[in-house]
Amino acid sequence: MSQTVMNIKNLHAKIGTKEILKGLNLELEEGKVHAIMGPNGAGKSTLSKAITGHYDIEVTDGEIDYKGQNIVDWEPEDRALEGIFLSFQNPVEIPGVNNAYFLRTAVNAKRKYEGKEELNAAEFLREMKKLVEELGMKPEMISRSLNEGFSGGEKKRNEILQMMMLEPDLIILDEIDSGLDIDALRAVSEGINKMKDGKRSFLVITHYSRILDYIEPDYIHVLKDGKIIKTAGPELVAELEEKGYGAIEEA
Amino acid sequence: MRPALLGAMTPEEILETLQAGEEKLEAARRLAQLGMPTRKSEAYRYFEIEPLMERDWEPVQIGGEIEITESERQIVITDGIVTQLPRDVEVQVACSSAVDLSGKHFDPLYYLSHLMSPEIISIRFRRDEKVTIVHRFTQPGKLLAYRTALYLDANVRVQVEERYEGEQACGALVLGGYDAFIARDARLSLIKDQTLREGDYTPILSHRIKVDTQASCDWHTFDFGAGNGLQLVDVELHEHATIDADHLLYATDHCRRGTVSRIVHIGQSSTSNQRAKNILAEKARGIFDALIKVEHTGKYTKAHQNSKAILLNDGAYMASKPQLEIYIDDLEASHGSTTGQLDEAQLFYLRSRGIAKEEARKMLILAFANEIIDALEDEALRERLHASFETAYWGQTQVSCMETCHGCEETALGEKA
Repeated sequence: MSQTVMNIKNLHAKIGTKEILKGLNLELEEGKVHAIMGPNGAGKSTLSKAITGHYDIEVTDGEIDYKGQNIVDWEPEDRALEGIFLSFQNPVEIPGVNNAYFLRTAVNAKRKYEGKEELNAAEFLREMKKLVEELGMKPEMISRSLNEGFSGGEKKRNEILQMMMLEPDLIILDEIDSGLDIDALRAVSEGINKMKDGKRSFLVITHYSRILDYIEPDYIHVLKDGKIIKTAGPELVAELEEKGYGAIEEA
Repeated sequence: MRPALLGAMTPEEILETLQAGEEKLEAARRLAQLGMPTRKSEAYRYFEIEPLMERDWEPVQIGGEIEITESERQIVITDGIVTQLPRDVEVQVACSSAVDLSGKHFDPLYYLSHLMSPEIISIRFRRDEKVTIVHRFTQPGKLLAYRTALYLDANVRVQVEERYEGEQACGALVLGGYDAFIARDARLSLIKDQTLREGDYTPILSHRIKVDTQASCDWHTFDFGAGNGLQLVDVELHEHATIDADHLLYATDHCRRGTVSRIVHIGQSSTSNQRAKNILAEKARGIFDALIKVEHTGKYTKAHQNSKAILLNDGAYMASKPQLEIYIDDLEASHGSTTGQLDEAQLFYLRSRGIAKEEARKMLILAFANEIIDALEDEALRERLHASFETAYWGQTQVSCMETCHGCEETALGEKA
C-alpha cells in the first residue's frame, strides 16, 4: 500500500458568499496519478485553488493534510516550496517579467529552501534551454516576457517547463488539455509522463477523458456539487463516457 | 527675497526688484500677467507651492572668476556656473543674457527663473554628440535660479544625459530648466535621472522645447525618491515634428512629485506620444497634469497620451489629468489614465512558484517600470537606470543582466552550442 501524500478531510470552501466545496474528502497516494472528473461548476478548479492557497478561496471548515501537516493556513509560496505545483488552466500574462529571470528566481528560491546551492545564470540557462528543446518550444520563449502574447499551447508548454525545472512532489494539472492541438497535447503529456518516478503524485483535473489517453490514471474521482461522489479505477472513464456525469450517483 | 511679493508688482517693479536688465522686460511682463503661483494655479494645484513662494529666500549669487576644467564628455554646471567642459566634444558653451521668449510659457516660474538668471548658459551642438550634463548644487537653504539653453543645428543627433548632484544643498529651492531649440531634421534625446531624498533641495524645472520641421525629441525622465519636485514643460511641434515623452515616477514618503506639460501641435503631420508610469508608496502624491493641444494648423496630427499608476499603500495618491484640446477634425488622438494596485492574479502566480511575497511584489513593480526603461536605445543607459530604479526602490541593486539584457543568455547558450 502506497503512502498518502495528501489527505483532504471534510473540506468546505467558498468564493465570496457562495459555498463551492461542501465537505470534500480525497486521499492522494504517493506516486499515483489521480484524475478528478466532473461537470462544469462542480468545484474542480476551486479544489485546485484551495490546495494552492488562492486568494479567492476561503476555507471555512476541514483540513488539507500534506506530508502530515495541515496546510490550510499556509502562504502560497510555502506550499510551493514544500513541493505543491499547480499548472494553471489560464496562466496569467506578466509583461515586463523576463521568463528566464522569473524561473531562475523560482528555482533558486526552492533550492535555497532545500539547502542547496543556487544556480548561476549560465548553469540555469543551459538546463532551461535543454528542456525548452524537449518540449518543442521556440528558443525565444526564454527571453520573452512571462506568458505575454503566448498562444494557448505555448502557455501550457511553459507551465510544463516550470514544472520540470521545479521538480515538485505533488503536481496539479488543471485542464491541461484545454486549448491544445494534438501535437501540443502529445508534447505536454510526454513532459508529464517523464516526471513520473514512482514517488511524485499527480492530480489531473479535467472535463474530458482525452488527456487520460496520454496520462494513464491510477484512480478516477468524480466531483459533483462540491463533493467527491465516486472513486474507482481507470475503468470508470469508459462508464463516464458512455453514461455521462448525470448517471453517477453518490456512493 | 519673497517670490510671492512679485505677484502684486508691475513689470518695471519686477525688473527693479530682481535687478534684471531691460532685455528681460518681456519676461517681466509675462510674469506680471500670469501672477505668482498659488495653490489655486492650475499648474501647481497638486503641488505645495505656497510655502516655497512665501518664504524669504537668500538667492545664490551667480558670477565671479571660475576656473573651468576639462572632463570626458561631461558638462558640469555647479550652482549655475559651468565648471567643467568635455575635452573631445565639439559643443559651444556661452553665456548670453537673452533667449527667445516668444513661446508664451504657461508657467510663471519659467519667467522668474529667466529674470533671476544674470546669464543663460547656452550650449550649441554643431555635430552629432553624446554628452552628460551634471547639475551640481552645493548651497543649502538658498534659492538658486539659472537657465540652460540647448541649440541643435539642422541634421544633428544629440543625446544628453542629465544627472543631478545635490546632497549638500538640503532645503534649497532650484528654479531652472532648459530652453531647447531643435532645428530642422535634428534629433535630441534628453534623459533625466533624478533621485531625491527627503529634505533635499526642491527642483522646479521649467522647460521649453521647440521642435522644428521634421525634427524630433525623445524626452525620458526618471524621477525617484522621497523629495518634492516638479517638472513643467511646454513643447511646440512644427510640421512633421515628433516628440516621444516617457516619464517614470517612483515617489515615496510624503513627497509631491510629477510632471505638468503642454504639448502644442502647430504644424501639420506632427506626432506626440506621451506615457507616464507612476509608482507611489506610503503617503506620496504623484502628479501627471498633461495637456495636448492641436491648433487649427495642426492637420493630420497624431497625439497619444497615457498615464498608469500603481498605489502601493492606502495613503498614496495619484493626481492624473490627461487632457486633449483639439481644434481640427483630421487627426488621430487618444488619452487615458488608470490608477490601481498590483494585480493580485499576477502576484499569486509568482507566489505559487515559491517566490516570496515581497520578492514577487518587487518583480511586478520592476516589470511595470521596465516598459519605460526598456524604451531607451542605449543599452548602458538602460542598465544604469535599472540599477538606479532598483536602488531607489530596494535600497540596493541586484539587477542582473538577465533582467536587463539578453547578452549573457546568448553567451550561455552559445557556450553549449
